[in-house]
Amino acid sequence: MDHAGRGPAVRALPGRRGATKGRSRASEVAADYAYILPALAVLVFVVGYPIVYTLVLSFYETPPSLPGRFWTGLGNYRTILTSAEFFDVTLNTVYWALPSTILAFALGIPAALALNQGLPGQGILRGLLLIPWVISTVTAAYVWRWLYHADFGLVNGFLMQLGLISRPILFLDSPTLVIPALIVVNVWKTFPFVMVMTLAGLQTVPRELLEAAAIDGATAVRRFWHVTVPYLRNVLFVTFILLLISNLEHFTIPWLMTGGGPARASQIWSIDIYTIAFRSLQFGLASAYSTIVFAIVLVFAYLYVRALTKEDTVR
Amino acid sequence: MSASVSTRPGGRPRPWIQPHLVLAALTIGLLLLFVLLPMAWMISTSFKSQVAAMQQPPRWIPEVPTFENYAKLLDPRGEGGRWFLRYLLNSFIVSTATTVLGTAVAVPAAYAFSRFRFPGRRLLFMTILVRNMFPAVVFLIPLFILMRTFGLVDRHASLIITYMTFGLPLAIWLLKGYYDNIPTELEEAALVDGATRFFAFVRVVMPLSVPGIVAAAIYVFIQAWNEYLYALTFLNSDELMTLPVGLQSYFSEFVTDWPGLMASSFVMSIPVVVLFMVLQRYFVRALTEGALKT
Repeated sequence: MDHAGRGPAVRALPGRRGATKGRSRASEVAADYAYILPALAVLVFVVGYPIVYTLVLSFYETPPSLPGRFWTGLGNYRTILTSAEFFDVTLNTVYWALPSTILAFALGIPAALALNQGLPGQGILRGLLLIPWVISTVTAAYVWRWLYHADFGLVNGFLMQLGLISRPILFLDSPTLVIPALIVVNVWKTFPFVMVMTLAGLQTVPRELLEAAAIDGATAVRRFWHVTVPYLRNVLFVTFILLLISNLEHFTIPWLMTGGGPARASQIWSIDIYTIAFRSLQFGLASAYSTIVFAIVLVFAYLYVRALTKEDTVR
Repeated sequence: MSASVSTRPGGRPRPWIQPHLVLAALTIGLLLLFVLLPMAWMISTSFKSQVAAMQQPPRWIPEVPTFENYAKLLDPRGEGGRWFLRYLLNSFIVSTATTVLGTAVAVPAAYAFSRFRFPGRRLLFMTILVRNMFPAVVFLIPLFILMRTFGLVDRHASLIITYMTFGLPLAIWLLKGYYDNIPTELEEAALVDGATRFFAFVRVVMPLSVPGIVAAAIYVFIQAWNEYLYALTFLNSDELMTLPVGLQSYFSEFVTDWPGLMASSFVMSIPVVVLFMVLQRYFVRALTEGALKT
């Protein structure tokens, strides 16, 4: 990310000063900011303000039946952190997010390595494998809900045809099967993201290094572990954190497939917050909840930024 | 480095059948099954009648294929078609506006982050990247209240403004990497010839970065086209719904029209899949040559 020493930047070039003769340093800087100002304005409006607002609102009680809001200090936080429901939902969330992320890697990395071998028609194969990532999560949720359908679904029909089961499995109505069933959908949707990031990372491994290792007699496995993996480590770490965070805050798949059920068995953070805010209309409580989730995610965000700012992000 | 993803490593001639190629083909074959079977089942169902869809054991090829689901969707005079086409139009309006505005904002920002050395540059760049880290739900409540204050609830503008920020971080990141790899000599030449800096950017650098801009634009478009949670929260009127939210109309209390739902899911996927298939190499190249190389 740092460009010190990466070749001269425009600003540092001799003679360029002359091209903008008569302009002061201050107006130069102001002109520079003008380029990023639109992006910044949108982000402040849609990102900065909401964070502050959520934080403020989290200290208020906002009874749905009354107008206005009432200071409650840490009351909302106490309500959430001492409730057994929050504990259960947190367990569900971790149970949903962590295996989803790991399995997406378990499929995404082999996919990228396989695509990097020089098979004929690679571009098309890569495109086909990326389809789940490109289509809407809504489509993915509905298609899989139909696949899992107890009476007419393909999965049950197939298993029964094979004689593996005699009665249909109620994937989405079973408290024990519901999260694994949802994880499959999530992995289907997200492994291509891991694949494409790994694939891009693989292109940054210097070919000469791999060839030198091959000439030195290193086996393919050794070349992979000692040359490729070190180059990929940072890309994979950043991808892992990104995917883990997006899984921790995920909403759409469980919402459209189970609504958090049966009996809250697939209730995860986002669905809980959404329900508290827009069904129970307790904005204050939901804001405190958001802030707690935000604080947890911030830990991972910190790791992400640290990995990104490392001098050798990739090389 | 101009190596594209499809370049074969090594470059020496190889015998046809190699163990690692067989393994690669096997891996990809299995993953293709996993990826494509659900898509194929969606398409198969969309050509069935309600009755045929509920047949067990399931049939891959419908006995009597029917186009009735598509005819219903695309007939503007019918009840189903009237709404579906409305949602489709709304999705196009929102996604296109987001893409145009988002790209217009991302391009100069990425250029500035790549070329200029203004104070606070690193901090701002990090702040923009970190945008992706925040849970969407954290923003949902305050943005809903904010949009309500500005009278934007139940307007497409609320979605367009919000969606712009979804794509911005990645778009800026991709494009900055792209600009980092464009030699500065070209701009210098223009500057020496007396062009203004802005002119050099618009006329010299931007044309060279078209593939990067295309990649960023596709990304922004796809994000906007597919978004569900904010559309669900910000829009109330049926007339304004985008497709992802509109699809819930296929669920009623008694029966779900699965063939109809699969047909509309399919139609909804076509634009993004086609767009991505045609332009994916730009996207992967931008990721490879730009973002990950910085």
